[in-house]
Amino acid sequence: MTVPAPRARRSSVARFVAAYGQEIVIACALIALFIVVSAINPRFLGANNVNTIVSGNAYIAVAAIGMSMIIITGHIDVSVGALIGVLATISGTLAVSGYPVWVAWTAPIFIGAAINGGVGALVAYGRLPSIVVTLGMLSILRGGLVSSTGGAWINDLPPAFQIAQARWFGAPAPIWFMVILTVLAFLWMKNTAFGRSLYAIGGNAEAARAAGIPVERRTVQVFMIHGAFAGIATMLFATQLRVIQSTVPPNLELTIITASVIGGVSILGGTGTVIGSTLAAVLFAAIGSAMIFVNVSAYWLRAVIGLLILVTVLADMARRNREFWSNQR
Amino acid sequence: MLRPSLAAMAVLCLSTGLATAQSAWTGGDDLPTNPLACDGTPATPVSVDYDGGEPTNPPDRAGKAITVVDVPKLIGDGYFDATSKGIAEATAELGNMTATTDGPVEANIDDQITVIDNYITKGVDGILFAANDSVAIAPVLKKALEAGINVVGYDANAEPDARQWFVNQAEFNGVAKSLVDALAAEIGGEGAFAIVTSTFTTPNQARWISEMAAYASACHPNLTWLETVEAQEDNILSFNQANTLINKYGDELKGILGMTSIATPAAADAVTQAGQCGGIAVVGLATPNAMKPYVESDCVKSVVLWNPVDLGYAAAQVLRATADGTLKPGDTSVQAGKLGELQVINGSEILLGAPFVFTKDNIADFDF
Amino acid sequence: MTARGFLRHETILALLVLVALFVLDRQSDRFLTVDNLFNQGRLMTEVGLIAIVMTFVIVTGGIDLSVGSILGMTAILIGVFWKNMGLPLPAAIGMGLVVGAFAGFVNGVIITRFKVPPLIATLGTLALYRGIAEGVSEARSVRGYPEWFFVLGQGELWGAPTQLWIFAAVAIVAAVVLAYTTFGRTTYAVGSNEVAARFSGLGVDGAKIAIYSASGLAAAIAAAIFVSRVSTTRSDMGTGIELDAITAVVLGGTSIFGGRGTIIGTLLGLVLIQSLKNGLSLAGVKSDGTVVLIGAVLILTILISNLVHRDATR
Repeated sequence: MTVPAPRARRSSVARFVAAYGQEIVIACALIALFIVVSAINPRFLGANNVNTIVSGNAYIAVAAIGMSMIIITGHIDVSVGALIGVLATISGTLAVSGYPVWVAWTAPIFIGAAINGGVGALVAYGRLPSIVVTLGMLSILRGGLVSSTGGAWINDLPPAFQIAQARWFGAPAPIWFMVILTVLAFLWMKNTAFGRSLYAIGGNAEAARAAGIPVERRTVQVFMIHGAFAGIATMLFATQLRVIQSTVPPNLELTIITASVIGGVSILGGTGTVIGSTLAAVLFAAIGSAMIFVNVSAYWLRAVIGLLILVTVLADMARRNREFWSNQR
Repeated sequence: MLRPSLAAMAVLCLSTGLATAQSAWTGGDDLPTNPLACDGTPATPVSVDYDGGEPTNPPDRAGKAITVVDVPKLIGDGYFDATSKGIAEATAELGNMTATTDGPVEANIDDQITVIDNYITKGVDGILFAANDSVAIAPVLKKALEAGINVVGYDANAEPDARQWFVNQAEFNGVAKSLVDALAAEIGGEGAFAIVTSTFTTPNQARWISEMAAYASACHPNLTWLETVEAQEDNILSFNQANTLINKYGDELKGILGMTSIATPAAADAVTQAGQCGGIAVVGLATPNAMKPYVESDCVKSVVLWNPVDLGYAAAQVLRATADGTLKPGDTSVQAGKLGELQVINGSEILLGAPFVFTKDNIADFDF
Repeated sequence: MTARGFLRHETILALLVLVALFVLDRQSDRFLTVDNLFNQGRLMTEVGLIAIVMTFVIVTGGIDLSVGSILGMTAILIGVFWKNMGLPLPAAIGMGLVVGAFAGFVNGVIITRFKVPPLIATLGTLALYRGIAEGVSEARSVRGYPEWFFVLGQGELWGAPTQLWIFAAVAIVAAVVLAYTTFGRTTYAVGSNEVAARFSGLGVDGAKIAIYSASGLAAAIAAAIFVSRVSTTRSDMGTGIELDAITAVVLGGTSIFGGRGTIIGTLLGLVLIQSLKNGLSLAGVKSDGTVVLIGAVLILTILISNLVHRDATR
């Protein structure tokens, strides 16, 4: 029986495309969207509008970084929207109570990490499925927020608090946050043992454990990091306007999960990058804006967005299936 | 990759075609409108028979201590926080009424119905409510009436026969006139404007938009409505939507109408951050506290609302009067404590008053 | 898993339910009355129907987040078929059920044919179906249904609320199917080890499509009952009901990873949640407190159950 001839080595371009296929698709979709819509209404490409799209939604991208890490590890968090609502209220309360502004900015990061650390412990050591714990957490946070604030909004925020409105070197602060954090997280996930261990755990937790990775500890740590990212997202979320609603932003967790998932992070765990989720978050924001520019009937907005999600997902699956089959040869 | 892109393109084109030309403004409902006269002459009041519901065999509550539950659209909201304060003020004054505020954590009909249902089972003497949907809440309120409970609504009505009285903060056409007049005063009779609302399914907002459309076409026909965007109850989304409108229309946009206490401050903030104060007028419904920074910086000239604390206060007073029997079907007015005498309109509605306009001169006097 | 392992969680849960009922009964004498219990059954039916079929979905290792949107879409379409297209109401309801089942069928196809993971597929259809509901209705409601229709949601049949009979029927059929038929065994097999099930010659894809279609159908039936109960249609109906259903199913001992779960467990989970919502309110706890408590109960119950069986998976 002859040994089959070894498959020809693929070019490095082909390997790059194969590894980052989803990110490339999203980037292309984004570019295509901008081209098409600006042809219809040139103001879509105006600096102000690009700023609105990217800067106004940067908080979603930042939260999606943490969520992507969670999903890569094979878990999920449906309570992140409620967490951000709670952290925003804490942040605002600190700001109006006379604490220095930097305390109001950084306290949510630690509190978010602590709360999610608890969630992570329940998942890792209590062996509870993450969806169960975070479903419970969602209720607890939401009810707790209403109980403790009674719904009163927070006004009179000190102007120094509004970091999201700052501009550094010509670009709005949220964009800097988003880009720098995404790049750092990406490099960290790819190049450190910690980062790679997350992919390993997501791919096959038992094999990771056998390889010596402390699975439980990592799980708690990744949940804490995710909580910290939620805290950073809160910084951008809570400081955009002069008033903070003390309610849970509706549908925020779904938006963040969708951004991560469309960005290529596989819900089966083990693949995907944070660059994809950031691009996807921007793409969604761009689509939302595009719908208005293109005069899609406001009543059909949701349906069109849903259809686009499905089309993107189906395209991705088709691509993966083709990849899979071509790898079999 | 080509095929999905083509598919996406096709979807975009198809849905653009779905933007049908509508004569009424998007976001309005399909109920009949009744615009006021342009010059402010009040409409001749039409006397309507009492059309409210009646409790079945209510016990005699005159003068006795009663327990009341207040079920707003949702709890955890600044506006209903204020109405709740008003109710508490009234109960403190009256002395023989205890009121608890309990409502759904999200503004949906199912949870609100469940809350009311639980209190019926528990056994309360009176229910105050602000309905998420006027028809959906009717069956459970009728059940309350059948159990002999007094039912009075405020802020958002239910079907008339499902409650005894409804305390109306301001007539829909009155609110519409105030808003459109304020807008026209700022942008001139020929400007173009857009609307930011919460959701298209919120009944009060839909009514206001319809009434505004009717009033504007009668009295300010050259005002151009551009579009209406939804922003849920999310102030960051409202902010982003307002920005998108500013970006899309550029100089063409002269005004933004905010339909909720969340949309209006967010729109004002968007206009401020875009450096367009003075260039784009922001007019809308909002609580004064949320709008103070913008009114003080002259970005916003007028904010329309009523006093929600007074609204809650009046609702509690009306419930007490109903339970005592001092307010009966067919009465034309009711004494409401410190608010004096309030008129009965439309059969079973009690009018709080005219919409109040907050401006730079008076906004500092209010704290809600 | 052994039969003893199967029963453990459900037994713990049953004990918990009994304890809860006892404690809540002590707090208020209006809690354990026939009237109240029937009423709670009425309020629980919509979530219950969806949760029962969701049990099948989760046992196969999948999930269906779009049920709330299917409910909303079906509710709107019933109104549209009846009022705008002039169909007689029974036909409109029938068509609505067909649409709901078809929506579930589409979910099933996306999951089996295109191999999209269920979480993502139903996340997409959640937006799509809700969007269709909003677009078709243009945010208008349909009202003015004939009186006989309200018997379904608000009336009684043979002494008990009408919808409870439907719920009971569905629960019994589901329990029998899951526990005693080949289809039920296929469901468990798919959830335990899909690849092995496929190689054993079981019709995995067919079973999945059937289950997701049933999920859509259950949402559609719930929609009809809901519309009848509140006498109107709104495009935002059913928002969030998927999380309530999933909570009940998971509370009932069904493993989110698939392969384990019973209808009895789901029913106990539903009863526990509804009793808490009602009993706590009667005892004077407000909505925000109840929401927190239910979240805590969910986490604690699964934690306790896991600690009791040390060999719980992952």
